[in-house]
Amino acid sequence: MDQLTKLFYSLGLSPYYGIFVAAFLLAVIILAFALLYEGVATYVERKVAGDIQSRIGPNRVGPYGTLQWLADGVKLFLKEDFIPAQADKLIFRIAPYFVFVGSFLPFAALPLWDRFVPVPMNIGLLYIIAVTAMVTPGIVLAGWGSNNKWALLGGMRSAAQLISYEVPNAVALLIPVLIAGTLNLDEIVRAQGGGGGILRWFIFHDPFSFMAFFIFFTAGLAECNRTPFDLPEAESELVAGYSVEYSAIRYAFFYMGEYGDMFIISAMASAAFLGGWQLPLIDPLVKIGWLKAVLQLGIFLTKTLLLVLVMMWIRWTFPRLRVDQLMELSWKRLLPIALFLLMGAALWTVVFHGKGIYDLIVG
Amino acid sequence: MGVLDNRLPDNVFFAMADDFVNWSRKNSLWYLLFATACCGIELMHTGGPRFDLDRFGSVFRASPRQSDLMIVAGTITYKMADPVRRLYEQMPEPKWVISMGSCANSGCPFNPHTYSVVKGVDRIIPVDVYIPGCPPPPEALIEGIMKLQRKIEASKVFRK
Amino acid sequence: MKDLNTLVQDLQAAVEGAIEEVVTENTQPPYIIVKKEKIVPVLEYLKKEGFNHLSAVSAVDEPPEKIWVVYHLVAIGEKSTLAVKTVLPRDAAEVDSVGNVYPTALWHEREAYDLMGVKFKGHPDLRRILMPDDWVGHPLRKDYEQIKEYHGIKTD
Repeated sequence: MDQLTKLFYSLGLSPYYGIFVAAFLLAVIILAFALLYEGVATYVERKVAGDIQSRIGPNRVGPYGTLQWLADGVKLFLKEDFIPAQADKLIFRIAPYFVFVGSFLPFAALPLWDRFVPVPMNIGLLYIIAVTAMVTPGIVLAGWGSNNKWALLGGMRSAAQLISYEVPNAVALLIPVLIAGTLNLDEIVRAQGGGGGILRWFIFHDPFSFMAFFIFFTAGLAECNRTPFDLPEAESELVAGYSVEYSAIRYAFFYMGEYGDMFIISAMASAAFLGGWQLPLIDPLVKIGWLKAVLQLGIFLTKTLLLVLVMMWIRWTFPRLRVDQLMELSWKRLLPIALFLLMGAALWTVVFHGKGIYDLIVG
Repeated sequence: MGVLDNRLPDNVFFAMADDFVNWSRKNSLWYLLFATACCGIELMHTGGPRFDLDRFGSVFRASPRQSDLMIVAGTITYKMADPVRRLYEQMPEPKWVISMGSCANSGCPFNPHTYSVVKGVDRIIPVDVYIPGCPPPPEALIEGIMKLQRKIEASKVFRK
Repeated sequence: MKDLNTLVQDLQAAVEGAIEEVVTENTQPPYIIVKKEKIVPVLEYLKKEGFNHLSAVSAVDEPPEKIWVVYHLVAIGEKSTLAVKTVLPRDAAEVDSVGNVYPTALWHEREAYDLMGVKFKGHPDLRRILMPDDWVGHPLRKDYEQIKEYHGIKTD
């Protein structure tokens, strides 16, 4: 964002306007990327589902059915936008935007390549956790505004679930913050570079951070309402949960919000634990600036999308939890473990002066 | 939609727009989870691994608000008639109906000697495609869905 | 468990004037015909004597004036069955509900009411069970005539 603003400034635009133009341009680029990703992710999800259930999956539109997301999107866009007569119309209308915006805003704070974050900020991690929480009121509003029993149950379940899992999620995420000593995502990623290759990634920093990764990922699955934690939209119990009264493009917003959430959780996991855009040998071998940036972007996206794929794999493999099991998992298992790990990581930092296992062995 | 429906002149440009819209609609027929009798088993079977309706872009949705296609799979009794009509009215436009099996087509095994079965679901809601059989095998259902796809292909969206 | 003849004799003594006819030969299951006012005490007695399961309550239409209600009893474990029949006037078919003796009878009685029009006194929730609530007529009666239209649906 700063670079873009400077670019416009050098082109003769006043900084006052430049910042707006830059913000607009950035928003368009990120939105285009997010929509494309979400479209392709739905197609990949169906193909993964097909593969796991030994089916074929969509294969009629385009080569190997790759245009399936376009057909779905156009169809949903042109379908009748239905608002029930008894619904609370204002709440019903704005709820999908909460969900979509909550899953779309964090894209601005992801560390894409070396020293580049679309909107640089010192508290990137905190910002992402804060704005993803916007999904919760969106879903609760959808459940309330629909004036439907299933939707209300789904919304309430979702509120309970998201609030519960936000806690172990954030606590587990504190461990990389503790190791790196900063909330700035770019600096967290940079702290995972240098000699030692992948052993410098925070997941291999110490035993506590290794376990914290899995705690974070599990809680993250619950945060984006994915199976085995998809209780808010459980088909066999709640028809379609909070989205039961939504049709057409409003429903598509929920759908896209879910996939956006998946991307954000995976991106945070890859940035905080798996070294973000770091990969051994890229630094010493590639000397051209822009090529390096492209490679690093590719590495970051690859790691993130692989984690998204793992989420899909989990979804089509595991059955759904029960509500009490869900709460028990969060408050009785994940949270105590996460707190224990946090204390362990803090002790480790004090005792070994912040050195990871690799440093202790080699240096 | 609504405002533009069937208002625009019939020319090449709008014909292409129609084709595009119809292409997307016919390849994304999400069907409602609605099965009242043994045809429902064949319907599930059709969505399963061996026949795989997902190839055609058809997946099931549990909520009528998100479905495009209602596959009436099974016997409809008079007691079920009102819920069927209601489910159909809950689906947003554009929507299609496939009547699957003899019971839904004409109440056939129960026709004319029963007091409780509706003699054909087309007495309740408009039907696009009838699939004979008791119950029809999955191949027949797929054939019916392809017939419906051809019907959607030929329909006019923007043109007069 | 007692054999059937002793059982019937004991029943005669326990519930006076209940049994009108006993048929045990050449019929499966054996059946007794009882007065409709005595149906509840008879079934209470039979349940106490070991018939612990009521497998069905059915009704038989026999124009011009009779409707039979048949209670199919089973003694699970004893491999013995017994049917208890009672006859009602066709134009005012009404009998006491046996839901307090066999709770399962509540469902069967709803069905008999729905399809045959037999009313059960003391049934807590006597609604139609198979046909829609606003249906006209009782379909399994011999003189039943289908209504021509139901909620705009032609029924012919």
